[in-house]
Amino acid sequence: MSTQALLEPSDTAEVAAVKQRFSLKEWIFTTDHKRVAVLYMIGAFAAFFVAGLMAMLMRTELASLGPTVTADPSTYNTWLYFHGAAMILGYQIPALTGFFANYYVPLMIGAKDVAFPRVNALSVWLFWMGIILALLTFVIPDPPDIMWTGYPPYSILTGGNTAFYTFTVLLMGFSSIAGGVNFLTTIIYMRAPGVTWGKMNMFIWCTLAAFIIQIIFVPVLGSAVTMLTFDKYLGTSFFNPAAGGSPLIYENLFWFYSHPAVYVIFLPAIGLIYEIIATFARNRIFNYKKIVYYGVMGVVGLGGIVWAHHLYVAGIPNWMILIHVFMTLIISVPVGLLMIGLLGTLYKGSIHYATPMLYAAGFLFLFLIGGLTGIPNAMSSIYIHLTDTYWMPGHFHYVMAISMTTAIIGGTYYVFPKMTGRMYNETLGRIGFILFFVGVNITFMFTMIMGVKGMPRRYYDYQQFPEIEWMQQIATVGSYIIFLGALVVLISWLHGAFYGRKVGRNPWGSRSLEWTHAPSPPPPGNYGDGVKLPDDWNPYGYGK
Amino acid sequence: MNGYAHEMSWHTSYWPMVVSVGVLFLVPLAFSFYFVYQKPLLAALSLGIGAPLVLISIAGWVKEGLEDEHGYGTGLSVWAMPFLIVSEALLFVGFFAAYWATRLTAASWPPAGTPELSAVIPIIMTVILVSSSVTIHLAETRLEGEKYDRGWFLTWLGVTIVLGALFLGISAFEWTELFHEGFNFRTNVFSSSFFSITGFHGSHVLVGLIIFLCILIPALSGKINKSFVKAASIYWHFVDVVWFFVASQLYFW
Repeated sequence: MSTQALLEPSDTAEVAAVKQRFSLKEWIFTTDHKRVAVLYMIGAFAAFFVAGLMAMLMRTELASLGPTVTADPSTYNTWLYFHGAAMILGYQIPALTGFFANYYVPLMIGAKDVAFPRVNALSVWLFWMGIILALLTFVIPDPPDIMWTGYPPYSILTGGNTAFYTFTVLLMGFSSIAGGVNFLTTIIYMRAPGVTWGKMNMFIWCTLAAFIIQIIFVPVLGSAVTMLTFDKYLGTSFFNPAAGGSPLIYENLFWFYSHPAVYVIFLPAIGLIYEIIATFARNRIFNYKKIVYYGVMGVVGLGGIVWAHHLYVAGIPNWMILIHVFMTLIISVPVGLLMIGLLGTLYKGSIHYATPMLYAAGFLFLFLIGGLTGIPNAMSSIYIHLTDTYWMPGHFHYVMAISMTTAIIGGTYYVFPKMTGRMYNETLGRIGFILFFVGVNITFMFTMIMGVKGMPRRYYDYQQFPEIEWMQQIATVGSYIIFLGALVVLISWLHGAFYGRKVGRNPWGSRSLEWTHAPSPPPPGNYGDGVKLPDDWNPYGYGK
Repeated sequence: MNGYAHEMSWHTSYWPMVVSVGVLFLVPLAFSFYFVYQKPLLAALSLGIGAPLVLISIAGWVKEGLEDEHGYGTGLSVWAMPFLIVSEALLFVGFFAAYWATRLTAASWPPAGTPELSAVIPIIMTVILVSSSVTIHLAETRLEGEKYDRGWFLTWLGVTIVLGALFLGISAFEWTELFHEGFNFRTNVFSSSFFSITGFHGSHVLVGLIIFLCILIPALSGKINKSFVKAASIYWHFVDVVWFFVASQLYFW
């Protein structure tokens, strides 16, 4: 196949090599990375949907002064718990390091599967058990009401079921560690000849970095929640000041993992945006080597020493605050480098705005807002005034929640033709994007403004601040628009998967291995006898 | 173009899903029924569902692993083990960090209620664990090439398992003695760290023993995967190294 033919979008569907008959056994007991990816995807989007409903309930509750949906503030707390825990542990991390890593890594490196397919299946099922345990909090009489952070002493003294929280974290944590061991081995030892370190896709580099962070930091969170369980149910005194322990130990151990968890989410997300932008701008990666060495690896190197910026007002020593102010400001350098790489990749590209590219463009805007609002937060003197106001949820929803969700939804649109062999409806895709993008900006821009006006976060009611009721109402309307957008996205996927136009192996005209060499959808074993790559092959070799 | 078509079916395995369901019953549900809802009968029922599922899956998984019909990652276990060890090490770092933080900020140490810990027991345990690292190394030296000797391998693997079991026995004996002296989980902040850290280390020894049994039993009928054995051996050396930290920080500081 000539180079030119690879670059042309191909619309002719190939005859499937394996007859695609549906077999339940081949789905639920599968060890194939593409099907494991689909299992991850279903679980992650289910968590997204339920946690999104919790967000709708909270926004509706806040739409007017006084009780709106419920008269019981602790019910609000359980929504808050479920929203945070499920969005981070059940949706974002599994969608990026489960779904996308599983689908792309073996395909992009030219492997038949991951190194340990059964361990891979174990990862996804442990994750599902975590989802089941999280959903069980809706049927037990004492659901957890401790946010996703589970800070002692409240999490120890509360009548809520803290054990369900800690075991959800532990199940997801084991799943992540198993995945990390598996994928690091896969990326390092199973690349096809020709896929060298200097020619790996950006997504592979970012996933490698994310899994390095996972295997180092997840066990520390595991130890923290284990001690929490022991304290509450076995009577130990790790976090009990009366017996010589300290809640600060938990807070430090918790954020020692949970800040790097932001990079576990951020790195694969920006990796996806790199893939999308390179493909739709038909361009090389701008300064590939510097972006990888200083950007991706810089985030890994600095990511573990910025956690205490969550604890400026928790009572940690001043020297520790000072160090973490500096480190937090410094980490915006590699992150900024990653952003510059995206813009440089667009430069002089031949840009084509299909739906995935719209989401990538949305990401650039949303992440810029999120990143810039993060810089004042890093400085402890400003932080003291903004902490525990709506400013914080506004900031971290921009930087983490909605930026990464644009990457996840855009990435799903991007992989859609490869997964299903069919094309989604472009009009529906665009409508979904516009609704989503408008909705998130309305909601979270007003969230930040309310924060600066003094509205405290986590509040069930705001009788002291009647003057901001109108802003709460606008934010609530924004959240309904997001919900509508998510429904359109879901409809476009379901419609595309069943009735979409059939496409060939490379509808985007990408140069990356998974598009040029594998049929859509790829058969068991992906590449059969293995891939043979010419010496001048490069996943971003456009214009040669 | 049709070279890719030679794999005609999707690979499946029952065990990853079965073991996950087993784990859900065995740990979170059994624990919650017993400690959160005080329903021992339901806790026992959960254990009764979870434990057999986990045991069956381990056996099935080992059998499948030795047959290895996929062969995608053949020989990679030994390269994956270091990543797992990084994770395991950081788990202990979390517990040690809590211990150091409480100890270094305490007004006086040891806190009230701590009995004098025996120095003899940790020395004996150290000798046992170091010897078991030597014996597992001896076992794997005769697995390759001309020196292949299954009898030698089985003997030294057996000795390693006996030493590991002895280590756990002494640990259990020490715990019972301490309980009798009134030193338990609830006593003070030192007992919290002491029992958590020695308990977690002991659970790693137990997992090591289970792995060795999973190697020993199929090896009796001649099924040996060298990569698995090497990976297990590396894991065992790691458990040994962790013990030096446990002993030096908890007993001799």
